[in-house]
Amino acid sequence: MLTLSNVEVKYAGVILVLRGVSLQVPEGKIVALLGSNGAGKTTTLKAISGLLRTELGEVTAGSIEFCGGRIDRVDPEQIARQGIIQVMEGRKVLKHLTVEENLRLGGYIRPAAEVRSDMEMVYAYFPRLREKRTAVTGYLSGGEQQMALIGRAMMARPRLMLLDEPSMGLAPLIVAEIYAIIQRLAAEEGATILLVEQNARAALRISDYAYVMENGRVVLDGPSAALAENEDIREFYLGMGKLGERKNFREVKTYKRRKRWL
Amino acid sequence: MLVISGMMNGAIYGLVALGFVLVYKASAVLNFAQGYMLLFGAYLFWFFRVTVGLPLVLAMIAAVAAGFAGGALIERLTLRRLIGQPLISMVTVTIFLSLVLEGLVSMIWGTYPLQHVAAFPESTIRLGKMVLTTQSLIAFGLALLAAGALIVFFRFTRIGLAMRGVAEGHQIMQSMGISVRRILNVSWGLAGVAATVGGILLGSTLGFQLGMSHIGLLAIPAAFIGGLESPEGAILGGLLIGLIESIVSGYVGNAAGVPAAFVVLILTMLVRPYGFFGLERIERV
Repeated sequence: MLTLSNVEVKYAGVILVLRGVSLQVPEGKIVALLGSNGAGKTTTLKAISGLLRTELGEVTAGSIEFCGGRIDRVDPEQIARQGIIQVMEGRKVLKHLTVEENLRLGGYIRPAAEVRSDMEMVYAYFPRLREKRTAVTGYLSGGEQQMALIGRAMMARPRLMLLDEPSMGLAPLIVAEIYAIIQRLAAEEGATILLVEQNARAALRISDYAYVMENGRVVLDGPSAALAENEDIREFYLGMGKLGERKNFREVKTYKRRKRWL
Repeated sequence: MLVISGMMNGAIYGLVALGFVLVYKASAVLNFAQGYMLLFGAYLFWFFRVTVGLPLVLAMIAAVAAGFAGGALIERLTLRRLIGQPLISMVTVTIFLSLVLEGLVSMIWGTYPLQHVAAFPESTIRLGKMVLTTQSLIAFGLALLAAGALIVFFRFTRIGLAMRGVAEGHQIMQSMGISVRRILNVSWGLAGVAATVGGILLGSTLGFQLGMSHIGLLAIPAAFIGGLESPEGAILGGLLIGLIESIVSGYVGNAAGVPAAFVVLILTMLVRPYGFFGLERIERV
């Protein structure tokens, strides 16, 4: 459905952020994109959604194809109308508007007649949003804001949802709740999702396939179940020792084991 | 009497302040050219009424339509290129835009006041001891009507809601497939309409002259006191400024009226930095 091949991204014409990223998102699957800070995960999402172009970034090489058409030179509004909706990191709600107004704006590109029924669907997934629908979004808790964001993206009935760090800064219980909903979305609506996460454990559990990024490159990829068993992933991203038991700080070696792919 | 005439003037201030609110609400830019857009709109009306010789209602419609086109054109030619640039550059553009508009008006129509044209029947109504002109009554009613229409527009229509969204962040709106450019274009067009309506009302009471643009200056405190994001605040702020101006100039002396309005503005800013109906800044820690 979505194919990136050798995508290179530069900011302001000089800063090379992505050095040839290739990945694929098949229809109806959840694909996770893992990696530490500054690996280029968010940049990859913005390259897909076109938002890169609003912040001096540019795809300088490679191509991005969505359902057979190239989208790497298209305006972000157009890309959203083609069915790719990005849920940005950092809980970018429209904070002076109420929850319901946020959702209505999410459905702005949809026929007005369907907005009502879509809103009911969102409330069915997030009962908490129904309770708070007349509340000003800026005063909601972090978890509720994240739910409002995902709900807002659902209102656009996206063919592909780009989720950027939905777990950031949230309590573990809330993270579990949100992830359960994302899983239900995939199972019940057949949603296609590209998920960016630092929380590798949660992301590997719900995704079908995963890519690991470092320094603007994809360094490892494979089915999520297989990656979760990979030694390097277990050590560097899941914080486990070789045998799967938790690390004992007394036995931590003072040198760092080299990553295999470097 | 002072109270009444203050309210009538205040309604026009409020109408102009609505223009500030329209632009500010969608783009967070304070449009310093609003007063000059009013001047231009008023002269457009004069052009359609006197030079072209259209009947009154048609001339008004033509002027308002031209005001919408003018506002949208300004956005298209200058501010669109500045989306995503620092706000100060947009504000600077509006400041110098006002000089351009003033220059245009004096180039086309000259610097002398034009022949008087009444937009509404000039009769007076006696209410006990007070004398009211129909014009100021109509101006008053029209200003309230415009504010009411805008409040409904922002709360219940799709595009009004989108304007409020655009004010919070361009990128967020683009990520939802909403064209920020189109929304800004419409809001500038509407600001042009508010300016033109204000211009017609003001022109038919004070006469068509270059000095009309000064009202833009007095509408600034009105918009700030009410809160830059709030249409109802703009009207109330306008009425308040009108009252203060007329009462102070009545009792203290003519020269004190305008400065008094600005003193009230400064005091308001000290107590409530976002005005009385503006959006509070939401900061979560």
